[in-house]
Amino acid sequence: MKLRFVIGILLVSALLAQAQVSGDNLLRSQQDDESWLMYGRNYSAWRHSPLKEIDTGNVHGIVPVWIFQSGVLGKLQTTPLVRDGVMYVTGPSNHAWALDLKTGRELWHYSEPVPDDLAYCCGQPNRGVAILDNRLYKVNMQATLVALDTRTGEVIWEVESADYRKGYSNTVAPLIVGDKVVTGIAGAEFGTRDFIDAYDAKTGERVWRFWTVPGPGEPGNETWGGDSWKRGGASTWITGSYDPELNLIYWGTGNPGPDLDGAPRPGDNLYSDSMVALDADTGELRWYFQFTPHDVHDWDSVADPVLIDMEVDGQDRKALVQANRNGHFYALDRQSGEFLFARAYTEVNWADGIGPDGRPILIPGREPTDEGTLTCPGMGGGHNWHATTYSPQTGLYYFNSGDGCQIYHGATQEYVEGEYYLGSAMENVTGEPREGSIIAVDPSTGDRRWRFPLVSPPSSGLLSTGGGLLFAGTPEGYFMALDAASGKPLWHLQTGGPVRAPAISYRFAGRQYVASAAGTSIFVFALPK
Amino acid sequence: MRWEILCLLAAFAAAAAGQELQSSPYHGDPVSIGVGKATFRLRCSACHGIHADGGQGPALNRGEFAAGDTDLAIYQVIANGVPGTEMPAFGGRSTEENIWRVVAFLRSFAPGDDEPLQGDAERGAAVFWDQAGCGGCHRVGQRGGMFGPALTRIGRSRSVAYLRDALLEPGKDLPPDYFVVSVETADGRTIRGIGLGYDDFSAQLVDSTGRIHSYHRGEVESMEREFATLMPDTYGDSLTTEQQEDLLAYMQSLRGEVGAP
Repeated sequence: MKLRFVIGILLVSALLAQAQVSGDNLLRSQQDDESWLMYGRNYSAWRHSPLKEIDTGNVHGIVPVWIFQSGVLGKLQTTPLVRDGVMYVTGPSNHAWALDLKTGRELWHYSEPVPDDLAYCCGQPNRGVAILDNRLYKVNMQATLVALDTRTGEVIWEVESADYRKGYSNTVAPLIVGDKVVTGIAGAEFGTRDFIDAYDAKTGERVWRFWTVPGPGEPGNETWGGDSWKRGGASTWITGSYDPELNLIYWGTGNPGPDLDGAPRPGDNLYSDSMVALDADTGELRWYFQFTPHDVHDWDSVADPVLIDMEVDGQDRKALVQANRNGHFYALDRQSGEFLFARAYTEVNWADGIGPDGRPILIPGREPTDEGTLTCPGMGGGHNWHATTYSPQTGLYYFNSGDGCQIYHGATQEYVEGEYYLGSAMENVTGEPREGSIIAVDPSTGDRRWRFPLVSPPSSGLLSTGGGLLFAGTPEGYFMALDAASGKPLWHLQTGGPVRAPAISYRFAGRQYVASAAGTSIFVFALPK
Repeated sequence: MRWEILCLLAAFAAAAAGQELQSSPYHGDPVSIGVGKATFRLRCSACHGIHADGGQGPALNRGEFAAGDTDLAIYQVIANGVPGTEMPAFGGRSTEENIWRVVAFLRSFAPGDDEPLQGDAERGAAVFWDQAGCGGCHRVGQRGGMFGPALTRIGRSRSVAYLRDALLEPGKDLPPDYFVVSVETADGRTIRGIGLGYDDFSAQLVDSTGRIHSYHRGEVESMEREFATLMPDTYGDSLTTEQQEDLLAYMQSLRGEVGAP
């Protein structure tokens, strides 16, 4: 018995000991078919797997290979990482697991209690880990960052990014850049002042911090009336991207606080609802672009900053594209931050387009009022945070959208530390439910190529593959494959729980797999042997 | 101002020492009431209305509360919910302090007169079961039809004003998750009923006979969801004003008692 136990330990250790990931591995992640090494698969956040064994002609035949039931209730929004026969997934409420890629059996389980007095706005999800060497990096709800041993799940170091008692929390998947772990933060619904951090991957020591709301004496502080900057929000709860040649990190920021009441914070409220480009070594701001100045509709701009080299108006551009929650698709020059163009992709009634300077042309009377103002899109967007994908095979960019309007009620509210600081709330329009869609656009023009309608606002992210497929999920529990060229549905399965995460794909032992969270479980699919 | 802060601190110190608060320590404090209002709008307004004037849940801006008019009673309803109704417990989702702020907000409304009931509940029962035929679709306890929403406890969960709207303008508001599905089958039939499920690939519905239907999109000609009601909108004409008032009085009397008429 003892001998079998020891052999078992040795086998597990041997399996996990292989999980060495270097910086070069991360730079070449797009060419590594057998791994999924970061949130967006590559530093450009394409979320595209070149694998083509599963394609438009045979996807109808894929079957579940294994299912891992986490047993943890809550929103499962993880992007699994895959390396050397092991899958690393995170769950809500501070859980993480290492799973045997062959069988789905649990190799280790990490968990950390969530403090009872922690305030949070939107559940306790977690969007995944980052990996470097033999360490995984994971944020916890109480605004901490932990380094875990890939072989055991044991904590190597743990640091506090901010005091959760002040309203901070964290859900983001970290991003490894060089020898640093870059993370965001959440809390803008509680009057926090937010930031982007970089930590030494070996020690956990904080290397730099970029405040997304500038303090006194810093450029941009003048865009906040009085001392409103102290409670300015601008959370950073979705993973950014990175251009190694320019050595710039791109990260989207969230709404200013209070969300729906602009009166306490006159001005543009930089750098809320913005894209910021930071020097990866120092965290210094190189450029910014603000999508929604002085936002009063909670239109976070945290969605994936996707890096595409493409021709725009006859000129080659190193571009950055984002489907923004305010209802517009944007293209920027990622070297300079220059605004290239923007196109509405859903019903918009608050702006009459985006001007040549990149600022929205506001339609008066769309601000929240005590009695309520009908505004489109609704609070969740437009495209909210869900992972997007760019397929170099089709040349199309894919994202989802919540479509429809809401009634925005605003009211003045004093700040109380640790309590909601929203400035009122939204309500739905009776008889007009919000719906959704999956949209494919030409990223160089914003022209829509196809739209797949959804009966509900979307819940999952997207994955494109070399097999010409687009994988997506729905809040009603369907995991499905669409033809990436046309949007035609080719396969679906009712999983029994909402699909709230983006799928991934990898090759293992010569066979292509597609994996996605659904409900409280991880489902893995492949063609029959 | 300092005195008020001292009072607040003393009240919470007492609570921390094990003496449960009997009333909100935030009465008259505009900052706390503002936070309570904001919390109310975030957590409560979907059912009780953005101005606390009622909707799917009772109106709370009249200074009268079904579970009792004391601060403590309101606090306990918020913290623990009301079993057997749609009112959930918020005790695990909000701090004690913030629930007391919501209580202070709700008590900040000037007490007003609830709409007086003019009808007779006994006569209303006859309207419900005989003259108007409401029981053909709605059930009370074990009696009545299965097609419409159960009304066994409707008097506890809806105001008179809401019920009057529901009777005379039945589409004005809809219960949560209520919708109608219409399906045109491949052989040309139209099936219409209350939706049980509706998604990107299928729909499930129950027809007026209680039969459940399930369809994949690919096997039917068309499939549509309507956010409308199948309840007739003719009761304003077919019932006299007296019958309407009697019917409302009957519905207000339905509090969930077993064996209700």
